[in-house]
Amino acid sequence: MSADSHDHHDDHHHVLPWWQKYLFSTDHKTIGIQYGITAGLFLLFGFFLMIVMRWSIAYPHEPLPGYLSWIFTDAWEARWLADGKVTGETYNMFGAMHGTIMVFLGVVPLGFGAFGNYVTPLQIGAPDMAFPKLNMFSYWIYLVGGLIMCGSFFMESGAAKSGWTNYSPLAGYADRHIVNQLMAGQTQWLIGLVLLITSSLLGSVNFITTIINLRAKGLTWMRLPFFVWAMLVTGFLLLLAFPPLEAAGIMQLMDRMAGSSFFMPTGLYSKADGVLDISGSGSPLLFQHLFWFLGHPEVYVLLLPAIACVAEIIPCHTRKPLWGYKPMVWAVIILGFLSFIVWAHHMYLTGMGPVISTFFQTTTVLISVPSVILLTSLLISLWGGSIRFTMPMIWAAAFLPMFGIGGLTGLPLAFNLADLHLHDTYYVIGHFHYVVAPGILFGLFAGVYHWYPKMTGRYMDNFLGHLHFWPSLICMNFLFFPMLTQGMAGFHRRWYNGGDAYLEKGAEGVNVFGLTVLEKISLNEVMTASAIAMAIFQVPFLLNMVISYFWGKKAESDNPWEATTLEWATPTPPGHGNFTFDPAVYRGPYEYSRPDHDEDFFPQWEEPKRDKAALAKEEPSKDEETFA
Amino acid sequence: MEIPFVVNARKDTGLFNSKVAIWLFLASEVTLFGGLFSGYLFLRLYADYPWPERTLPVLPGLINTFILILSSVTVVFAWAALKLRNWRNFQINMWITLICATLFMVLKSIEYKAKFSHQAVRIKTEDHSVKDFAILEGHLNKAEVKDGKLVKAKKNEEGDYSDNAFYANKIIFKADEVTFTLTRHFYDDFLYEIVKQAGETKFELVEDYMQVIIKEDGSREEEVLVNKGEELSAPAIEAAEEYFLGRRSDDAKLRTRYLKAAFAQRREAGDKRAGWEIAQSEEFLALQAEQNKEIKLRSFSAPATMTFKATEPVILHLDPSVVVSRSGNQLRLRDDTLIGGELLDSSMFLAVDGIDFRFTAQRAEEKGISAESAIEKSWVLKQPELKKVWDAHQEWLRAHVEKLDKKSDDKGLVGEDRYVPTENEKYRVNWDQMVAYHRLGYEGIYDQAATDEGIQKPGWIEGFAGADHYDEEMSKAFVKVTIPRENIGFESTFTPRWNTYYAIYFTITGLHGLHVIGGMIVLGYYLFFGRKMYESNPEWLANRVEVGGLFWHFVDLVWIFLFPILYLM
Repeated sequence: MSADSHDHHDDHHHVLPWWQKYLFSTDHKTIGIQYGITAGLFLLFGFFLMIVMRWSIAYPHEPLPGYLSWIFTDAWEARWLADGKVTGETYNMFGAMHGTIMVFLGVVPLGFGAFGNYVTPLQIGAPDMAFPKLNMFSYWIYLVGGLIMCGSFFMESGAAKSGWTNYSPLAGYADRHIVNQLMAGQTQWLIGLVLLITSSLLGSVNFITTIINLRAKGLTWMRLPFFVWAMLVTGFLLLLAFPPLEAAGIMQLMDRMAGSSFFMPTGLYSKADGVLDISGSGSPLLFQHLFWFLGHPEVYVLLLPAIACVAEIIPCHTRKPLWGYKPMVWAVIILGFLSFIVWAHHMYLTGMGPVISTFFQTTTVLISVPSVILLTSLLISLWGGSIRFTMPMIWAAAFLPMFGIGGLTGLPLAFNLADLHLHDTYYVIGHFHYVVAPGILFGLFAGVYHWYPKMTGRYMDNFLGHLHFWPSLICMNFLFFPMLTQGMAGFHRRWYNGGDAYLEKGAEGVNVFGLTVLEKISLNEVMTASAIAMAIFQVPFLLNMVISYFWGKKAESDNPWEATTLEWATPTPPGHGNFTFDPAVYRGPYEYSRPDHDEDFFPQWEEPKRDKAALAKEEPSKDEETFA
Repeated sequence: MEIPFVVNARKDTGLFNSKVAIWLFLASEVTLFGGLFSGYLFLRLYADYPWPERTLPVLPGLINTFILILSSVTVVFAWAALKLRNWRNFQINMWITLICATLFMVLKSIEYKAKFSHQAVRIKTEDHSVKDFAILEGHLNKAEVKDGKLVKAKKNEEGDYSDNAFYANKIIFKADEVTFTLTRHFYDDFLYEIVKQAGETKFELVEDYMQVIIKEDGSREEEVLVNKGEELSAPAIEAAEEYFLGRRSDDAKLRTRYLKAAFAQRREAGDKRAGWEIAQSEEFLALQAEQNKEIKLRSFSAPATMTFKATEPVILHLDPSVVVSRSGNQLRLRDDTLIGGELLDSSMFLAVDGIDFRFTAQRAEEKGISAESAIEKSWVLKQPELKKVWDAHQEWLRAHVEKLDKKSDDKGLVGEDRYVPTENEKYRVNWDQMVAYHRLGYEGIYDQAATDEGIQKPGWIEGFAGADHYDEEMSKAFVKVTIPRENIGFESTFTPRWNTYYAIYFTITGLHGLHVIGGMIVLGYYLFFGRKMYESNPEWLANRVEVGGLFWHFVDLVWIFLFPILYLM
């Protein structure tokens, strides 16, 4: 460590101008909060898009009600709505942007950017990230990329409309009539994507370097909190999986701007333009391969930060070590590795052939092993614990079954045969939304409630917390469970009118599971009502964030949850440079309820008592060796 | 606050921060280029056209390879010099590195420039069994329109073309009228281009663009917004567009209100059915019919298009890429602008420096026809000048095959082991062969080719960057042809548009070039602004150069892979 560690205190007195302190800050904590707020706003926007879509699904013949349409200008409505109703084109646009925003602009920046940035350097006892300026650039590139993507809503072309997967040739053909391609939503989506990937790459390089090189004295690999392990693996996933998509993005940009045919097959025909004037011989399948090479690891990039939060919260709020810490570490490493070789299970229907499908089916089933290890370890960690039903714990506890449903409903999709029927139905939507919304988002909510006292010095309000939690839990299930049954009945995921157009043509159609669309169509209204209710019950959370900041109950100490990991050894909130002492670590991360210790928690940074009587009584355990 | 291990290595990892970071960054770069290389493989394996092999000039690429290798060595010397605290030596070696990088980019840009000005056409013949698919390569000549006819542009005394001349691959159209669509924002450039090409001639609005005014008592009155006869200009269209969009908004609002009211009315009447059932019910449809009468009274329907007529027909030449469809009397541009009139002779004037029948042969094979008979029917061989070249090539091929046979006999090879000409040799006439045949006057090719030294093609130095159309002697070998528009199947310069090979070539080498420029900026920064750091903390600067050098090695390594797959294979 640097020799001037105790000068840290002096840094607090060094006054930065406000724009350096809050706007162009290089402090990982400020950047984390910037990521958090920005991602939160994007999440709300993505949520709003979803509610408009859900309106169209449940009430395809009725104009959008005032509480959804007030945000649009008259000119926009005239362009994109038909007599106030959502059109297919608009639905596609919202669908594509909902997916993109939620995944690339919302959950990843919230999990990796916000929590990773705020917590990781604290937990490893580092003064900041290894490259603070790079960290700042990551955030600003992300913001610019996100704004470019979303800005296209206001253009004549509208935003991207070809799904969040942006498959060619559909995506290559969309917006072709626009001569200046820089002004096309579909092109701006790609430019935004390339910027986002650049931001993620810089971020992941920074994270991994920080974790490898800036750990505090005595913080060996197996003493790292699980959170840090999860961030390390997430960093590697972003680092290695994202660039092929960047390659695909650049190729698709070339297709659009330079007229190449990377992903455009020979003889592509459109009703409006006839046979397209392109060279052809491109491969649409190539795009799918490159996309899903990122796309699948991306799922774990979403998931791991949430699991990481839960894995920190459960030991702390059950006063019990994490059950199976080492297996969990190995599981997360293996999970990271396997996630690179499962991608084509998204592509069973492309006709890759049985050999390749079987390979990917096998690896996909394999990857459930480490996933189950993670979830089971967390579940068993509860066993025999003295659970404190604090707000973070309640969210973390709800994460377990919700993520469990999400994971288990994925199994049928892993199998080639079942997937042939379920592919592109609402079953798939139900499955991954169970993973992402009540799973990952609940884990991240838990994290917000858990670290809020460290960030602000005040607890979040319990009453508002419960008012946020219980309705959210109920609404989530009323929103997503019907999707599973609808999917089995054959509801297609891209029906913008919820299936009534299908009913007009083939009301009697019974699908392979013996269910009909007619039976399940009324669920649309239940789900839409749940979605709107869920939106309303996020208000207590937003209020809580603000109210608690000013009037919340003050945290009793720097370590209000009586936790063991290093972030709780800092002042509250931590100043620039984090620690007021030179942190050293003497033991593993989850030393709760040790019988040989007076208190029920034994922080990593607390020096062991070295009196002779204690030494005589027991042999010094290996864990207690200090690093000279 | 100070970040640890910026200068000195951490003991247990043995690395300083930026060294960890650069290796991680390079790992991600490997997957980035890995994605592009696997794209190359995918495109090449599944190409449905003959993949161009060895079409790029090898010599500049080879020189570039050695230049980059040299720079990789000198960047290490520069780093070592810093470690030894020898500033002078560092400067010299870094200078060499940067000069090498610049040379690399210069050679690269020469290669790029040749591609951008090199035209290719896929010939199309409707009555041909394989639709022809012969490919002609060459340079576009300039053309101009004189007295309504497309003619070759002539140079004036100063050796320049007149301002009216254009590259002869344009769509020539005698325009009477042009219609702009107000629903989509018209593309200003089209407007300006049309006005510019029209010159003295004016386009005038065909009929008044009316606006509707609804008075307080509900009566409607129409008023002229843009007068009939108004000259075509951006403000004229913008005024109408603004009005149109405004009325479209009003109408949409009106209709939305009525639709909402209809549903509210049905629900109030006690209709408990789901929305989609109500929407299909007879009561609802009746209600809507009623409403429509009211809507009609209150709606403004502004015309969505504006048509301008030329005072006299104007001859326009437009880039084929902006014309989505064309018929005898109408052109549709990419933004739905329509131009009415008459399609004129839109032939292409090409100085051919390459004839390629490989695509024809492949298509013939797919259809079970012999390649030779398909080639014979090609439009290309109906052009006497081109036929002459092709016949000369057949002579050469005959001699070449005999040579190969002799070689096989000498070695006693039989069956499949015998030497045969490659597809390239059989079906393609390259520019250097054209020059050679021309120099022999297209006569006695067989006799010359049968000799031991064969025909004399331009050497590596003469053809450093490919065919030289500016060389007076050489350019005579390049046959000038006129290709009618109906025989042009697909045309492009040798840019990413031409085929997936050039697409991947430009994408990978372009990205690689950006990496070279990025590396130059970073290394140049250390060279020109590193002195201060060298004096205060030389070890830190050495670390930075080490990291920059690692990146530079990676850039070099990428090229080592690129060179064989794009130039040699």
